[in-house]
Amino acid sequence: MKQNFAIEAEKLSKRYSLGTSHSRHDTLRDLLVDRVKKLLHRNAQSQFHSEAFWALKDATFAVERGENVGIIGLNGAGKSTLLKILSRITEPTEGTARIAGRVGALLEVGTGFHWELTGRENVYLYGAILGMSKAEITRKFDTIVSFAGIKDFIDTPVKRYSSGMYVRLAFAVAAHMEPEILLLDEVLSVGDLTFQRKCMEFARELQRRNATILFISHNMFSIKAMCPRVIYLKQGQIQFDGPTDEGIKLYEEDCQLSTVSWWKEKKPSEWPIFITGVELFDEKGNAKTVFDHGERMRVLVKYKTRQPVEAPNFIVAFIRSDGVQACVYSSEADGVVIDRVSGEGAVELLTPPLKLVAETYSVNILVRKKGFQDVLCAQVGSTFHVRHDFLDIHFGMFHEPGQWLWESRSGFAQAH
Amino acid sequence: MESSNADSVPSQIIEVRPNRRLFNLELGAVWRYRELLYFLIWRDFKVRYKQAAIGVAWAVVQPVFMVIIFTVVFGNFAKIPSDGIPYPLFAFTALLPWTYFSEAVRRGSMSLADDSELIRKIYFPRLIIPLAMVVGPMVDFLVSFLVLAALLVWYGVMPTWGVVFLPLFVFIALILALAVALWLGPVNVRFRDIKHTLPLLLQTWMYASPIVYPLSIVPEQWKLLYSLNPMVGVIEGFRWALLGTGNPDFVAMSLSAGFVLLVLLGGIVYFKRMERFFADVI
Repeated sequence: MKQNFAIEAEKLSKRYSLGTSHSRHDTLRDLLVDRVKKLLHRNAQSQFHSEAFWALKDATFAVERGENVGIIGLNGAGKSTLLKILSRITEPTEGTARIAGRVGALLEVGTGFHWELTGRENVYLYGAILGMSKAEITRKFDTIVSFAGIKDFIDTPVKRYSSGMYVRLAFAVAAHMEPEILLLDEVLSVGDLTFQRKCMEFARELQRRNATILFISHNMFSIKAMCPRVIYLKQGQIQFDGPTDEGIKLYEEDCQLSTVSWWKEKKPSEWPIFITGVELFDEKGNAKTVFDHGERMRVLVKYKTRQPVEAPNFIVAFIRSDGVQACVYSSEADGVVIDRVSGEGAVELLTPPLKLVAETYSVNILVRKKGFQDVLCAQVGSTFHVRHDFLDIHFGMFHEPGQWLWESRSGFAQAH
Repeated sequence: MESSNADSVPSQIIEVRPNRRLFNLELGAVWRYRELLYFLIWRDFKVRYKQAAIGVAWAVVQPVFMVIIFTVVFGNFAKIPSDGIPYPLFAFTALLPWTYFSEAVRRGSMSLADDSELIRKIYFPRLIIPLAMVVGPMVDFLVSFLVLAALLVWYGVMPTWGVVFLPLFVFIALILALAVALWLGPVNVRFRDIKHTLPLLLQTWMYASPIVYPLSIVPEQWKLLYSLNPMVGVIEGFRWALLGTGNPDFVAMSLSAGFVLLVLLGGIVYFKRMERFFADVI
């Protein structure tokens, strides 16, 4: 037996039949009706059960002990399915995996917490759900509570907690599982920034103790910070497995120009207009992805039409990495009239000095009909970072210096 | 694992693969997670009676209320015989195991769907959930038992030596409830129809058990068939042990106990089969 592996996966595959996930039968009646239909029309049946898709297909990889691997991919690429299989929440349809060591899986923080119970009671309950023994929880109880920083509220029912407190306590419990193998699904991005830093420190601490970590995230910053290696999943298959920089590059290329997740009305192939490229430059025209707070940005949007579009309204939206729509520019709102586009072309937006706080943002491009009517196309563009020494999300979404007055014995004076 | 450092040997090797073996029941895992079983029972108990002014006394209210109704309707109006025992005592002795049983079946069958979040996000042996919900109502049972004891003293009834068998009868009720829950729970994961079917099932089952009437009024030619209902043995056993009436048919009882065990074993196998899809369809 190989000594050093933590996870060995061979041809792991998971098939979901659309019959159970999409058009699933919620009542017995639906199923019976369906079954009867099938009996009557032998050929009309297939829409329910034979349509299957592979959420994960032939995933083969090995992770050595102490390795930290990032798992990246678009939504629905099979990342969570992979972790669910490895953590034994669901069974693979085919393939095997061997996992050596105590597994701690954190697919969501706080599942199993009960609102009616106090913090103390929940620590025990959640700990037990995560597989810790009572003695172990008792031993670590004080550490957990001080990690969460909610000492004064430990005997208060969790329903009176703020969501931040709740998440902190839950994570604190999970952080003390001391697993040999840790499976994380986008959970390090919970809570406020101070707590996130704590979480990252905790992950580093685990790294130092040679724990193996598999880590799903959409935040390429934390992936880069934590993992020298990434597995990039695309439509259920491993597209790339290797050095992080290379993997992220592939991912970001694929990410670009995919459809935004909330808009599913029309197939991309039916859009009258679509975006073929989004490029970011500074004011002077140098391509870049890291901008200083206060710098201006040029967003070049290249498009192609399938049919002429009258008076399109181009919209450039900056979406912060936590999903907050931070800033939206619209050609129409800015009083620009583009009367008719057809064929290929490009529009450029020069932003005012960026007042956004330091964070990662992605650019979404939308084209709407005049008057903010129908969406004609909605795509994800590239990603950029705003840099500033201290203006981070503690300062809100944007920051502009204010003017201050202070009262002193000699009357109002301007502060300097 | 305190010693999860670089040099330690991995504490265990887990194989993840499609489970195709019918009798791979993984009962060892249930044992390893026994503390979770305890905490789930404890959680349910706490939550149930939190913010209720009279707390655990609610466990008593339901059976007592039913006893009063039964005494008035069946004892006084319908004049159903009670083998010479005061009707309230007669009814309560039967309602006690019945209330436990029906609660255990109800909670056990609903539990998987109620804890769907857990099932979707965290691994643990799924059998723990129905198990916890079937054992849970035992607490309420014990509380009501104190009331029954008080009632016995009030009426001056002395339990017989058969009282040593009470735990056995309770155990049969528990196993039966678990067996039923293991069959209904997975069905309820996919078809929430069970929620609506269950009250009907339990009500029918209640009248098919000697709760409001004595076993002695069941026609002789039906008695054997009737006794195959395992709850008949349990309830008659209770009356026999505590009131000294009735005459539990130990042959029928062993028969039905064997039947219960088969249903239980089938239930576990069925549950393990279905368990693989819980996280996907719940």
